[in-house]
Amino acid sequence: MKRIGLIVVGAGPAGLSAAIEAAKRGVDVVVFDENARPGGQLFKQIHKFFGSKEHRAKVRGFRIGKQLLEEADAAGVQVVLDATVIGVYLDKEVVVRIGDGIEHYKADAIIIATGAAENMVPFPGWTLPGVIGAGAAQTMMNLHGVRPGQKVLMLGSGNVGLVVSFQLKQAGCDVVALADAAPRIGGYGVHASKLARTGIPFYLPYTIKEAEGTDHVTGVTIAKLDERFQFIPGTEIHFDVDTICIAVGLSPMSQLLKMVGCEMKDNVPVCDAHGQTSIPGIYAAGDVSGIEEASSAMIEGRQAGVYAAEYLGYIEKDEMDTEEASLDTALDGLRQGMFAPGNKGKKIDLTEEGIPVSENLLSRGFVAEDEIERFPGVVHKAGIHPVIECTQNIPCNPCQDACNKGCIKVGDHITTLPAVEDDSTCINCGMCVANCPGQAIFLVDEDAGDGMAEITMPYEFLPVPEVGAKGVGLSRSGEPICDAEVTRVRSSKAFDKTNLLTVKVPKEYAMKARFFEEVSK
Amino acid sequence: MSKVTDRSRDIGPFVPGPDDDMIICRCEEITKGEIRQAVHDGMWNMAEIRRYLRCTMGLCQGQTCGKLVKGIVASELGIRPNELEFQTSRAPMRPTEMHVFANEEEAKIK
Amino acid sequence: MNPDVIIVGAGIIGNSCAYYLTKKGYKVLVLEKSDIIGDGGSSRNGGGVRQSGRDPRELPLAMYGIENLWPTLSEELDSDVEYHKEGNLRLGKTEEHLKILEGLANRAQACGLDVHMIDGDEVRQINPYLSDEVIGASWCPTDGHANPLRATLAYYRAARRLGAQYITGVSVLGLKKVKGKVRQVITDNGIYEADHIVLCNGLGARPVAGTVGIDLPMMSVMLYALVTEAEPPMFNQMLGTAEADFYGHQTNHGSFVFGGSTNFEPVAKDNGTPVIMANAAPCICRGILKYFPMLADAKIVRTWAGWMDQMMDGVPVIDNISEVPGLTIAAGFTGHGFGIAPAVGTVVSELVNGDPTSADISGLKYDRFKTKI
Repeated sequence: MKRIGLIVVGAGPAGLSAAIEAAKRGVDVVVFDENARPGGQLFKQIHKFFGSKEHRAKVRGFRIGKQLLEEADAAGVQVVLDATVIGVYLDKEVVVRIGDGIEHYKADAIIIATGAAENMVPFPGWTLPGVIGAGAAQTMMNLHGVRPGQKVLMLGSGNVGLVVSFQLKQAGCDVVALADAAPRIGGYGVHASKLARTGIPFYLPYTIKEAEGTDHVTGVTIAKLDERFQFIPGTEIHFDVDTICIAVGLSPMSQLLKMVGCEMKDNVPVCDAHGQTSIPGIYAAGDVSGIEEASSAMIEGRQAGVYAAEYLGYIEKDEMDTEEASLDTALDGLRQGMFAPGNKGKKIDLTEEGIPVSENLLSRGFVAEDEIERFPGVVHKAGIHPVIECTQNIPCNPCQDACNKGCIKVGDHITTLPAVEDDSTCINCGMCVANCPGQAIFLVDEDAGDGMAEITMPYEFLPVPEVGAKGVGLSRSGEPICDAEVTRVRSSKAFDKTNLLTVKVPKEYAMKARFFEEVSK
Repeated sequence: MSKVTDRSRDIGPFVPGPDDDMIICRCEEITKGEIRQAVHDGMWNMAEIRRYLRCTMGLCQGQTCGKLVKGIVASELGIRPNELEFQTSRAPMRPTEMHVFANEEEAKIK
Repeated sequence: MNPDVIIVGAGIIGNSCAYYLTKKGYKVLVLEKSDIIGDGGSSRNGGGVRQSGRDPRELPLAMYGIENLWPTLSEELDSDVEYHKEGNLRLGKTEEHLKILEGLANRAQACGLDVHMIDGDEVRQINPYLSDEVIGASWCPTDGHANPLRATLAYYRAARRLGAQYITGVSVLGLKKVKGKVRQVITDNGIYEADHIVLCNGLGARPVAGTVGIDLPMMSVMLYALVTEAEPPMFNQMLGTAEADFYGHQTNHGSFVFGGSTNFEPVAKDNGTPVIMANAAPCICRGILKYFPMLADAKIVRTWAGWMDQMMDGVPVIDNISEVPGLTIAAGFTGHGFGIAPAVGTVVSELVNGDPTSADISGLKYDRFKTKI
């Protein structure tokens, strides 16, 4: 039987990262993936990633996918597509379906990086066409260029629900509401704020009572939940929609690990500190070993690749110690802050700096006007200066790197809230606005003359308004609050598709208007 | 990882619910009511439930409904879902035609 | 509860015994090592309810069950066990196959069973889906099949409803005699006591019986099964072949359940997990497609492996153990216990009750094993 040093199952972020690390050390590596395209979910991710440089922060997911494929190719990894691993058997035998046949391979080590699949939630009507997973919606939009529907309700306020809602809006869908059964928004506040300021309402704690329609979704009713997760009568709200998007979490696709006999706990393999399962030489990395962000999956993958290379005798102890320490640090970096795995479901009242967390952000998706001033990125200065509406401790710092004038400081601790330095001078380059993956940075000139203020904001919708376009300024909660006119539109390769829109609003709205909506002529 | 379970423990009577006719397992079209009733028939874990009703045994092999079924069974037993083990997984990972399974080819990867 | 009878093992045999004993008025306690009822061969078999092809020593049990128990079992247990009595075709493709089949048929006829040889055309009149390569078969019209998953759990459910107590997740470590009679069942969860103990725990029966000085000469042999997605209804016969390369049937649900063999069975490696060998499913699929080319596109959704309790002479022990009063053993079913399970439960309830048995089990005694010379 053909023997391969390392077989990696799954060419997503974890699998490719693992393969690259192992191959760079001389291991012969083959990656099998059942899909026609590599990259797992990465090619569906059109948003910019969080983290720091080593986590490929501020790079859009699909570009990371391309980078990984290039690195894998350079390292000599064989990526075999349309190749479904249908079973892992005794003695690390891997059976792969390729075309109309199956092929048997044995490996000295195996890394399972099969990712996860979307959870579903049942409600009357949940089997109607038009009820789709958020991941499916992403596939339709971002891989196939198909709009999933016209009017959409999103269920689930984790990062997937928030990110996909934004993408639905980008694709031209009317996202009528975002509901979640939890009392607090599960994902990053900055993702929620991007939606709230466009006018998408959040309903928490609400869930779907019923989907309506006979052969297709034509409407949905949501209702509020009490503390025991029972519907409160009289709280029903109806929306006419043709699509209901479900983003209620992911479950590991751990079948291969289960079938080969790895010890499991709650569908996740029990792994040691090296990602090794209960079977020596079989590793798990990425979502299959526990749901996290793609950034974590890439580090976990690199770890598994390094550990597998060590298991196979390709790494000496000295190198191993260095690698281990640096990867541990990288992963720890991502697992810090309010959204660290250990904080799941916990309500956090104060930031690491001791600032009360915005209650409105948690329940309605935006920081209220009487809350925003207490955060260190929100300052008032003469002239143009950044206003950073980043109010939760998340592992992310591209803003600090974006400003070469030293206006923005996160510091060494990656989850620290960014602060605007007092003695710095903003040159209005816009890099911070474009680079912030949370689209939470605005350049504000509170007194641009004639009683007006100018606000530069990130804008990722089409069509991009032209200079001179007139419309309304929307508040953080998406309310139209003032007249606004576009005075400058900037696009640049360095901004990577994030357009910078500068709008003029009456002075008193300088710290209130955060989105622009053109009023048709 | 066996856990001593006396199947005579009183889990109370079966009380019909308003959403009992809601389909939970789409592949095999098994409703919530059928799953709840099966628990009262003595099927107290995922293996027994699936063998009794076929839910989680269809084309998706439980990837979609496994978690939902587990939640319903746990709730009926008055325990936490993580006290129940998930359904088992067996090859093939994806449904595979017999002629493909039968066709063992030479390894193409050299 | 102070049980009258403790049954060790909650497979279909244990559940059937529990049902018929409870029905007779016994207070029954069933101890099962696994967390799951029916987790061994009971849920990994082809579902055959056959008389043909059986050893004459267990044929009376098969005939008794098909005559008296299976036809009304769904009503009796108030649960559809999906029993079909529409015949068994044992297929042959070569003259050599036909010789094997004739031998089996003659042996069964001698025991009074209606089983006879038919030619290829007659085979395809019964089952038009079979390949032209099939040149003949033995045909037993009173054979059939049922759903082993449903039947096992139906017995469990019915016994439980009648008051049988089940404790799962308890490993029996041994038995202990008290004043000359077996009385105690020693487990990892303490000691359970009853006047009568019935071992229905397959391969586990050997070590447990060993603690009171009884040896059951059996070995573990791996068996495979596989199941397809639902297909349109095609036929209701139970199928087997002269070569024993596959056996199985189509279920009410539409899926096909097949078992088969590869020649590796007696030497298959036991690593403690039910991991099927990578070469088994391909081999069984090839076996099936030789007879059923039209199933080529049917998708396999699951494959299993499991260990069967193969007695050295191929038939079980079903007996009161006279050396150990109070102990009854029903184990060693060698992969064909499912079809006779209702009859086994019935005769075990009679053995425990001290009654004559409804079917002749005189060939299944525990002390029958002899050296060859």
